[in-house]
Amino acid sequence: MSSAHGQGPKAPHAFMQHHYNTPEQQAGAAKLGMWVFLATEVLMFSGLFLAYFIVRMFYPDMVLGSHELLSKTMGGINTVVLLTSSFTMAMAVRAAQVGNTPAILRNLYLTIGCALIFMVVKYFEYTGKFAHGIFPGKYFDYARAAEYAHEHGHELVGLPHIFFGIYFCMTGLHGVHVLVGIGVMVWLVFRAKRGHFGPQYFTPVENVGLYWHIVDLVWIFLFPLLYLVK
Amino acid sequence: MTIKTFFHGKPIEDAIECHEHVSPMSTYVTVLLALFVLTGLTYAVSFADLGPASLWVAMGVATLKASLVCMFFMHLKYDERYHVFVFLSTIIFVTIFFLFTIFDMQSRDRLNEEQGTFFRIEQGRDWSEAQRGNKAEADAAIKAAADAKAGAVPTPAMADAKAGAMADPKADAKSAAPGKP
Amino acid sequence: MVTADKSSSPGGDHAREPSFYTSQKGLKSWLFTLDHKRLGMMYLVSTMIFFFVGGVAALSLRTELLTPELDVFSATTYNKLFTVHGAVMVFLVIIPSVPGAMGNFLLPLMLGAKDVAFPRLNLLSFYIYTLGAVFFLITLLTGSLDTGWTFYTPYSTSTGTAVISATFGAFILGFSSILTGLNFLVTVHKMRAPGLTWNRLPLFVWAIYSTAVIQILATPVLAITLMLLIIERTLNIGIFDPAMGGDPVLFQHFFWFYSHPAVYIMILPGFGIISELVAVHSRKHIFGYKAIALSSVAIAIISFLVWGHHMFVSGQSELAGVVFSFLTFAVAVPTAIKVFSWVATLYKGSIEFNTPMLYALAFLFTFTIGGLTGVFLGALSVDIHLHDTYFVVAHFHYVMMGGTIIAFIGGIHHWWGKMTGRMFNETHGRWGCLLVFIGFNVTFFSQFLVGQQGMPRRYATYVPQFQNIHVISTIGSYILGVGLLWTAIYLLRSLKSGAQASDNPYGGASLEWITQSPPIEHNFHGQPRVDTDPYNFPQIDRSGGMDHH
Repeated sequence: MSSAHGQGPKAPHAFMQHHYNTPEQQAGAAKLGMWVFLATEVLMFSGLFLAYFIVRMFYPDMVLGSHELLSKTMGGINTVVLLTSSFTMAMAVRAAQVGNTPAILRNLYLTIGCALIFMVVKYFEYTGKFAHGIFPGKYFDYARAAEYAHEHGHELVGLPHIFFGIYFCMTGLHGVHVLVGIGVMVWLVFRAKRGHFGPQYFTPVENVGLYWHIVDLVWIFLFPLLYLVK
Repeated sequence: MTIKTFFHGKPIEDAIECHEHVSPMSTYVTVLLALFVLTGLTYAVSFADLGPASLWVAMGVATLKASLVCMFFMHLKYDERYHVFVFLSTIIFVTIFFLFTIFDMQSRDRLNEEQGTFFRIEQGRDWSEAQRGNKAEADAAIKAAADAKAGAVPTPAMADAKAGAMADPKADAKSAAPGKP
Repeated sequence: MVTADKSSSPGGDHAREPSFYTSQKGLKSWLFTLDHKRLGMMYLVSTMIFFFVGGVAALSLRTELLTPELDVFSATTYNKLFTVHGAVMVFLVIIPSVPGAMGNFLLPLMLGAKDVAFPRLNLLSFYIYTLGAVFFLITLLTGSLDTGWTFYTPYSTSTGTAVISATFGAFILGFSSILTGLNFLVTVHKMRAPGLTWNRLPLFVWAIYSTAVIQILATPVLAITLMLLIIERTLNIGIFDPAMGGDPVLFQHFFWFYSHPAVYIMILPGFGIISELVAVHSRKHIFGYKAIALSSVAIAIISFLVWGHHMFVSGQSELAGVVFSFLTFAVAVPTAIKVFSWVATLYKGSIEFNTPMLYALAFLFTFTIGGLTGVFLGALSVDIHLHDTYFVVAHFHYVMMGGTIIAFIGGIHHWWGKMTGRMFNETHGRWGCLLVFIGFNVTFFSQFLVGQQGMPRRYATYVPQFQNIHVISTIGSYILGVGLLWTAIYLLRSLKSGAQASDNPYGGASLEWITQSPPIEHNFHGQPRVDTDPYNFPQIDRSGGMDHH
């Protein structure tokens, strides 16, 4: 792959690929690619949201009865944590734009930290449910779950295994996205440490940022639908 | 170095310069605070008894939060218009997906109830009630339902085109037992 | 007129530079290639292999149907065979064929770019495709899937066969499709040569662009649907499974939200090829450029509004059926705009009846039949009668085989010289086209008749009065098989003994014809510039590439 065919000016940074003419073209392509990828993410999650709305439509009492078993506090904490991480991620992008590598690293660490807190809270939520027989689908243990509901002054109605099936699917897929996000942010940390990012080249930071914000966006809708709505 | 470089088919002067918009810190902080306030609001509203309106309120607040994140954290406000277009058209297609499906589900259930061909609730309830009794019974209920489906030969009621929630029993039965005369 | 950058083409003669086949050597240079042309050829070879597998399955089915009784296979084997045929043809052949093979090869060339926007993603997409295909094929061939390609619940959640691994294969294939679509969409947006405005894009590019839009918007829904199906099967969460309180019709909504647009993923690239073929081989400016280009986009959008016409008798509400039926007719409008524009392009053109043009004409004939019978099936009341009969089978074969595959074969002939550097034997090509056309119509036209009389699809046995038509159909399928085999043989032979192809054997005016055949590794010498649209033919010199003479 020789660069003799490149018609643009001399490559301005080390990450310019030979088949692009300008860094702007490369950055623009990467960013558009990311937005299109985000579109596919939104559509993928939309399937789960639609399933939720349909189930809610079929069994309104069951959904309202079952969601009382989820902890609003834990969900609320996670919402705040995730919003904060979105903020620190945006700050990391800004630091890259102005070429402040220590600030990029600091903000990436904060974001990863928030993501880890999110997953830890999630872990306690899941195990807390499993401990009372609340499993998805056919593994749902009605007797233990009903007992647990009684302790908290609620009543199980109808077919709660469907609600928890959807709950585990939605939060599970979202959790997988958080884990992937942690992975790519660790990759960014390594690259940032080598001083790869600056005003001329910060596409990876920006794109990971976009990805992280969409993970946040999904949670913004998940939280009220699963935990809060009456 | 007089070779012109091109971007979007138009010549540009300085290809190396960064043309990104850098927002001031204060914008980010303000947005974050607004997001916290809105989260508190949904949390508080969830304890009030708004009835059917609560879904709409919650969704409205969530949409507001989402648009704040999009516009300021994701820079959509300063970004290329085409990215906004990509994002908005995604939302439009999600809406199409939701509207048609929900429209069918709602109108179908109404029609099925009128005709007394509503299967879903009864079948799910079988399993659920067995679950409430004991686990062995529940497993038996699942197994019975599965067996019934696997070896299903369409009953006249099911083969009827308007048989309700049992999906296309004709097609399934054909794949299951096409060899049978 | 298109021009290459003079500054980097001193002397003007680089016709004998090493092509992308020979510029790098060794197996590794192929396995890790980022070159869109090599990847295109790899897609071409793999789709052709799967086409052969699916074709053998189809001929076996037709052989079984020679008599009303079961004689060659058991009923279960028959079920598995039609699943192999349908699933392989849809997921492994038609969906990746034109975008994967022709799109990869031609898109950057037509745009005057050195490569697609994300070459590494392109390679990844190919490997995901291969992985998914292997997964899928192993499942199908070890004899354990009998749901048809649609995986309808509740049968798919309760049958004993390997639904999970098959759906997982389809899930993986979906990602390949998404990544290809994403790559192409960004390529069209960001990689166009200077002067190549939206109104100067070849119509093939417009078609690939619209296809990419559908792939991006629809395929993620398939991914989540298949994932939910796998979860439903393992955990019984009660979303699709009625025994657990779910709703199987909901599965069909999810499935067809992807799979109806997916039929346009299959046909739109074929439209693109036909636009090129008709214009180039009638030496006339395409009629209604903007109408054809925008109708591709319109089809892409409308395709998302009509999925319910697959569910008229599935327990969907009658009201939704009426709405979907009405919207279905809307698809006919942009489609008809295309067909009329092609016919108007032919009018008073100097038509050359060479092989690519014959395939284009064959397409116009078969696709029009396929499209019009689609309108019958979209009509709610008629569909109640014709649903799940051979009429439907004939309809979608007229569109998928008579539309996409015929366009694909025509495209292979049109660009064969560009892709391989060799010309095939024109006489052999015409005979091949004739055999394919006759074989195809005998096979599937008869199925309209038997379907209209009530022969249901997916059955291994039938009542004796249908036997005559079934025999005719089977004979037609053998003719079709011979025609395709014949085509494969002379094309492969041309690689050895075919005449050297010139840069521009048919006098095309889009950018892929200004580079040598086969192209050099970086496609062009210098940056091509464009100052006119790709259908201005009179200025073109028939004898070869215009920039070299």
